[in-house]
Amino acid sequence: MIKHDIVVVGGGLAGMRAAVEAAERGADVAIVSKMHPVRSHSGAAQGGINAALGNREDDSPENHAFDCVKGSDYLGDQDAIEAMAEDAPRQIIWLEHRGCIFSRMPDGRIAQRPFGGAGSARTCYSADVTGLVILHTLWEQLERFGVRVYEEYFATALCVEDGVGSGLVAYNMRNGELELVTAKATIFATGGLGRVYRKTTNGYASTADGTAIAYRAGIPLMDMEFVQFHPTSLKENGVLLSEAARGEGAYLLNKDGERFMFKYAPNKGELASRDVVSRAEWTEIMEGRGVDGCVFLDLRHLGREKILERLPQIRELALDATGKDAVDAPIPILPGMHYAMGGIETDKFGATRIPGVYAAGECACVSVHGANRLGGNSLLETIVFGARSARHASDYIKNVEVKPSPKTLEAERTRIDGILARSGGERHSHVRKAINDAMSDHAFIFRDDADLKAGMEKLRTAREMAQTMTVQDKSKTFNTDLIGLLETECLADIAQPIVLGAINRQESRGAQARTDFPDRDDEKWMVHTLMRYKGPTTDPEPDYSRKVVATKWQPTVRSY
Amino acid sequence: MAYTLDIFRFDQATDEVPHRDRVEITELPDTATVLDALEHAKAEIDGSITFRRSCRSAICGSCSMNINGTTGLACKTPVRTVLKSDRTIAIDPMPNFQPMKDLVVHMDPFWDKYTRLKPYLQPKDRDEDHPTERRVSPEDMKKLVAVANCVMCATCYALCPVVSVDPAFAGPAAIAYAYRFIEDVRDSKRKERAAQISDDYLWLCAHCYACSYCPKHVDPHDDIIAVKRATIEEGLTDAPGPRHALVVAKTVKATGMLHETEVIQGTVGRFNIRGLIKVAPLGIRIALAGKMPPVFLKPVPKVDEIRTIFETLEAPTL
Repeated sequence: MIKHDIVVVGGGLAGMRAAVEAAERGADVAIVSKMHPVRSHSGAAQGGINAALGNREDDSPENHAFDCVKGSDYLGDQDAIEAMAEDAPRQIIWLEHRGCIFSRMPDGRIAQRPFGGAGSARTCYSADVTGLVILHTLWEQLERFGVRVYEEYFATALCVEDGVGSGLVAYNMRNGELELVTAKATIFATGGLGRVYRKTTNGYASTADGTAIAYRAGIPLMDMEFVQFHPTSLKENGVLLSEAARGEGAYLLNKDGERFMFKYAPNKGELASRDVVSRAEWTEIMEGRGVDGCVFLDLRHLGREKILERLPQIRELALDATGKDAVDAPIPILPGMHYAMGGIETDKFGATRIPGVYAAGECACVSVHGANRLGGNSLLETIVFGARSARHASDYIKNVEVKPSPKTLEAERTRIDGILARSGGERHSHVRKAINDAMSDHAFIFRDDADLKAGMEKLRTAREMAQTMTVQDKSKTFNTDLIGLLETECLADIAQPIVLGAINRQESRGAQARTDFPDRDDEKWMVHTLMRYKGPTTDPEPDYSRKVVATKWQPTVRSY
Repeated sequence: MAYTLDIFRFDQATDEVPHRDRVEITELPDTATVLDALEHAKAEIDGSITFRRSCRSAICGSCSMNINGTTGLACKTPVRTVLKSDRTIAIDPMPNFQPMKDLVVHMDPFWDKYTRLKPYLQPKDRDEDHPTERRVSPEDMKKLVAVANCVMCATCYALCPVVSVDPAFAGPAAIAYAYRFIEDVRDSKRKERAAQISDDYLWLCAHCYACSYCPKHVDPHDDIIAVKRATIEEGLTDAPGPRHALVVAKTVKATGMLHETEVIQGTVGRFNIRGLIKVAPLGIRIALAGKMPPVFLKPVPKVDEIRTIFETLEAPTL
């Protein structure tokens, strides 16, 4: 049996930041991750990380917080947002002191660039590989503290004894053995759920594993209907082209070469918040002003030198996928599923409703992003709340003892053996496709009641199918067929909360755009959506008892 | 576009020897990458085909494998660019690694090379003395940018012929990472780092340029040269590798030619009697073959121009 005081599930930015914080505080901490930490999808984040350093122009945490509140369409909890904005400069300096390779201004301070929905140039960056350099910095700190990483272990279930979290069960991919991982505190940092959609900027690994595990164990999921569609993804493969392109001055053009964004956001244009830009693009495309279902991202006027210095990765990604060089051709792009604002419900310290269980990063919903996340805030959330959850957990573990949970291990063993023994059912890749189609066809940028309900029905069928899924690989060594099935089970469970949340929320707010309810309804909907798990083939149970926390700002008209 | 994937199959737990499976691909678009083809094969044809992958945008470094004889990221390799006339693509695990299952290899020896570097910033002064960021000029930061793009995919490590004969060699990726700290103006351990990487057989690098094929354009070979230079600047010259580099430079600067007699002596060490006895048979064979180089070399005409090159480049010499 593996035993540590704190076990972090996931080795991306949030997970590693949590582990380093716990290690600095002297806790016995380990990471359980289905891949090596540097493989995490945090590394694919390109554009930057927000903090009111004020290096380029006057700024303050309060300005940052207000931009987040407005960006969230007033659904974010303002106490958590203020805490994040306040901590942001400290966390950036913390990273810099540990060697993070940020781009610099001529005087040697950290460079900052403008980003969507922000009142000033607040986004710290390293060319267009910001996620990667932070990922490496945190991995270096794991090396420094000798943090144990259970690499290529896939978490399958949370252990709860007497109402208290006591660790988890994990499947060792290298030898096919299930192991009990006992911990006084468990921190989920498993990232996004992009693979629930057909096309996404997320990698293959973003399958909501931690989200589903926590949900099945009784922790509610919050605000799942809010899914961010990034305005600039490649049609060919869904790969992201960073908002940094527009931050550096790139244009969005329709088929007539018109910079259409000013019709939708007269002040901010291309740098309006992502929900606004994605809806504008989709409207242009639907009204026949696109080309092959795309509009264009035009970088040409930035000039070769600036593109090569600040945006080399996206130039190459576009070149590889489309054969077009952004230096001399506009790149066809369209909105693509990018980020889940919702996730495992936590308080502002990252704690969930089960003592000893925490969540941080994209898998969590604090909520700092509300109905729409601003660019540059996801990396920030991972760092701030990774550290905060570990800080809280480091105090929590001082006064608790936990019992190992052999019965959870036994139950998981029976379950996994059952899956491996199954035959004749549906291939899990086909169930995955059914889920993807339901989501992409029925819960995309613009939504309405009938369409969403049709999607919900398809998901019910898909979840029934999921009970019969089979694998062809029965081996014990690195069985990615089995892992794929387990991931599809996770996606099957977390898809319904998204669609049911979208059906119930009869208003348009942030990323939730209802054509049948086009207005925001602050009278009725200044509440978070909570969804509880009721079984593998039962619809989730909604709960609207959690109110939005407003400290300073009351909802007003949101325009860019 | 129809083609066949010819895939290396192996399970370390059950197989004594590997075998190969052929999978026909018929329904993918012409723009498909090798990773797309593998994903399709796994989803629709044989779920047991095993490989690592995640981001499919050349940033996570998971999917490095051998594709028709050369190593690279499957997600960055379009099928059409590697298709041979027989319309077959041979896919194998990365060389220089032990296979675990199919295209998945044991990566631990590769990660260990990083751990040995103590790969974290060790600054000169205390963080507490810096209420804000440490100032670093854009020029100093730029030196680190190329290495910052390394995704640790191990393509260079798999391609390195020195690793294949001596697995103790740090390999191009780890040496590039050592460079990242050696050239970081915030770090205080330049000499210790140079010593460590020298101990990890830095000087075994044969400068074959195989690692210059890098999916992320990091080109670790440039960094290897820079690290070698740094070890000499730090005075770490008491080993055959740096001695060889320095004596070659010395004789070329002095005479405009490689002075082999002196190079052999200089590399082995002029007072290293045991070493000199060891190379003596080589000297005798050279002499018997009538190819003994002269003990004294006369400088070539216009040797001054060669010396000017050295001075311009500020190359370190003895």
